[in-house]
This record gives sequence, structure tokens and C-alpha cells, in this order.
Amino acid sequence: MSLNISTVPLPARPFNPTALVALIWLCTLVWAFVDLELAQSDLRGALAAFAEYAARYARPDLSELPTALALMGQTLAMALWGTALAFALGAVLAPLAAAALTPNAICYRLVRELLNLLRALPDLLLALLLVTAFGLGPLPGLIALGLHTAGFLGKFLAESMERVDRGIYEGVRATGAGSVQLIMFAAWPMILREAIGYTLYIFDRNVRMATVLGLVGAGGIGKAIYDLIRIFEFSRASGMLLVMITTIIAIDYGTTWLRNKLY
Amino acid sequence: MSLGIAWPTRSGRPPLALLAVGIVPLALALTAQQVEFSPTRLAQAALAVPAFLAQLLVMPDWSYLPELAARLLETIQITLLATSIALLFSLPLAVLAASNATPHPLVGWLLRGLLSLIRALPDLLWALLFVSALGLGALPGVLALAMVTIGLLAKLYAESIEVVKRGPVEGVRACGAGWLQVRLYAMLPEAAPDLIGTTLYMLDHNLRAATILGFVGAGGVGYDLITAIRLFQYDRLILMILAIYLLVTGLDRLSSVLRRRII
Repeated sequence: MSLNISTVPLPARPFNPTALVALIWLCTLVWAFVDLELAQSDLRGALAAFAEYAARYARPDLSELPTALALMGQTLAMALWGTALAFALGAVLAPLAAAALTPNAICYRLVRELLNLLRALPDLLLALLLVTAFGLGPLPGLIALGLHTAGFLGKFLAESMERVDRGIYEGVRATGAGSVQLIMFAAWPMILREAIGYTLYIFDRNVRMATVLGLVGAGGIGKAIYDLIRIFEFSRASGMLLVMITTIIAIDYGTTWLRNKLY
Repeated sequence: MSLGIAWPTRSGRPPLALLAVGIVPLALALTAQQVEFSPTRLAQAALAVPAFLAQLLVMPDWSYLPELAARLLETIQITLLATSIALLFSLPLAVLAASNATPHPLVGWLLRGLLSLIRALPDLLWALLFVSALGLGALPGVLALAMVTIGLLAKLYAESIEVVKRGPVEGVRACGAGWLQVRLYAMLPEAAPDLIGTTLYMLDHNLRAATILGFVGAGGVGYDLITAIRLFQYDRLILMILAIYLLVTGLDRLSSVLRRRII
């Protein structure tokens, strides 16, 4: 008496969506390609044109180095102030948006939605609006940076505060601590390292973004580069770009090194 | 004569963190002048806010809605195409750049340097360069966004590959797998959840970036945004801001749902 294996019904093979997802993805791409009329454009010609254009930047003119450094300094200052503003705003909003610390559910939802709105509005758009309202200069730029990145920093900090072990909150609360004391003596000490890491990341991001804010009249080296490109002064623009790229890479490595030291 | 008093650190010297606590406010104070952060300028800016907000309180221009939808669709298409092109290039580049998968340490080192050079220019500046070289339209937008995305995506992919567990890699190698097979059947599948998460994050990031690419004439909703601000068409502007908020938030929600299901 033996069991005939071939008659035992096998369970149905589980549905594997990979092929379907890939097909839908490919169709979407083809549709986008056709709809944007990219097929008409000559891609190889475009790359050749870009190579030719890039060659115009081959001879950087470094005779304006002091000006470039001063402008870069202003851009860095903008990023620093923007980050400080974002940290101040984020630090206040984060406990309200952390489930473990929020006073009530309505406040939680409202602050979460506020942080979401701040993140959704591009900082360049905010800067444009603020330049219209306040006039040209670095101040609208740094406020735009601060508001936009407060959305990110507030969310990151709130999530860190939610990840803290519940026992720590309970322990501190058991000593009779109020809600502000809970934030200061339970939440912050636990997330301090992470918070510094996030703030460094935001600073790095803000340095890059601050260089671009010049395009909408918010000062710094970006404005100078944009103006030089518009009057076809490629060598001078190239010199400024060189200063900018060097600074951005240096800050990138610096913040990465600091973050690695933290953990 | 020592009093036996020391800092409560391992070395007995004051902690470095104390230095940072002092340096940041000092830097802020020193650069306040440069970013026009003065009481008078702030007061002047604060006084301008109510008048500006009052301007934004207008009836939306509903007749603009179909055109806005077309622009947003273009923005989404640019995002999808640029991210997919970048994905295609980033995977092989990441394998070559990751320290545990690279064919030669020198190749990995050079490639990582190149990627950090690409990342050093912000996306809007790349877009400006591509528009200057190729003219207005969606093509420079797609190319610029793809370029920056490769710089970031390949780096993030490489970092995911670097933290792959050694066990599965050794297991596959022990079966006699060759150089390419080890990477295709051990490293990439092991890193897959991370890779998918990174790609979703990148999609989110690129949608935000694509909304402002039009500021320099690289297609999408950005061109209409900057026109509306320049011409004070606030009835269109509030519609655009609302639409961008809904779009970005929608993708944010969708990608967090997907992330939870996949990872």
C-alpha cells in the first residue's frame, strides 16, 4: 500500500507580481517618452551639444577668488542660519508630533500635517514668495530654508522620540516629572546623538540648496554664477563654480566624518 | 599640585562636544550681519507679511485647472523617466563602486570620487547648464535630473551592497559561482529590500525636484509657477501650491505604504 504522490494536489503556485509590475512600469515609461515628445529630439546631438557647451567651462578664471570666497561665505552663513532656524522650529514641534509625548490626538494630527505641508512646499518656491514679500537679499532665503527643513527635522526628531524605549518615559514620569520635564530629561538625552546627526545632514543639504537660492534673488554665490552664465562669461562662472564645488565636497566629507565620530 | 578634580570623561580632559556648543552660537553671531539678520530688517519683514498674505486670499482661477493638470502630468513623467534612467545606470555603477564588490579598489575609489563630483552641483544648477546647452523643454530636465539621481542613487546603492552579510556571499561562492554570479545571485538579492526602499525615497525626492526644474525652463509645472509669481497671478498660484502639496503628500503616503509591504 503506497501513496501515489502524483495524485496529491499541489497547492497553487503563489502569484508573483514581478513580471506584471515590470510590464506596467515599461508601458508607463514608453508612454511618458512619447508624450514628452522626446523621440523627436535627437539624443546623440543633445549629448554632443552638452559636451561642446561643457568645454566652454574648461578654463576657470580664478582672478576673482576673494569675491568668490566672500560670496561663498555668505551662502554658508545662509545655510547655517537656515539650519539653526530649522532646529529651533523642529525642536519645538517634534514633541507635539511624537505619539508618546503629544498632549492630545488633535494636536498630534495638526502638527504632523503642518510638518507635512512644510516639506511639500519646495524651498525655492518659498524663497520666491518671500522675496516677493520681503524684497531681495539673503533673509528671505534663510527663512525659506529654515521653514522647509523644519518640516524634515521636525519629522525626524519626532520619529526618534517615538523610538525611545517606553520604559524610559515611564521611569521619568514616575518621579513626578511634568510634560516639559519629560521632554527635557527623557526624550532629548536619549535622542541627542541622532538629533545631531540629522542636523548635520540638514546642514549639508542646506549648503547645497543655499547655492541655488541665488537663482531667485536670495543672494550668495548662486546669484553671481547665474548672472555670469547669462552674460556668457563662462570662464568667470567656471571659477566661481570651482569654489562652490570644492566647498560643497569639503562640507560633505566634513559632516560625514563628524557623523561617523558620533556613532 | 593636583586637586584631583577632572572632567567626567575617559581622558579627564573637557569633552569636544563642549566646543561645538560654544562654536555654533559664535558662528551665528558673527554671520548675522551677512545674512541681514537684524531687528530692523526682521521687523520690516514681519510688517510685510499680513499684506502679502492678504494678496494670496483670492478666488482660485478654476479655468486654469486643465492646463495645470497637463503640467503636473508632465512633471510626473519627467520624474518617472529620470528615475528609471538613473536606476538603469546606477545598479552597475554601484556594483563597481561598492568596496566589497568592486573589481579593483582603485576603480571603486575613482568611481566614488566621480559620483561625489556629480552630486556637488545641485539639481537646479545641472538643469540650468543643460537648458543653456540644449534649449528649453523637457529633455534637459530629464537629463539633468537623471544625472543628479545617478550621483546619489549609485552612492546609496553602493552603501547598501557594502553592508550585505558575508554568509550568503561565501555560500554562493562555495558553490563555484563566478565573479558576476556572486554579485547577481548573492549580493544584489541580499541588498534588494534596501535597494527598493532607496529607489522609492529617490522617486519621492525627484518629484519634489521636478516641480522646481521649470524655474530655469526645464519643463514641468515650475515654469508656470515662476510665471505666476512674476505676473502676480495669485489666483493661479494658490491652485498650483495646493496641487503640488496634494501630489507630493500623495506619493509620500503611497511610498510609505509600499515600503511597509515590501520591506
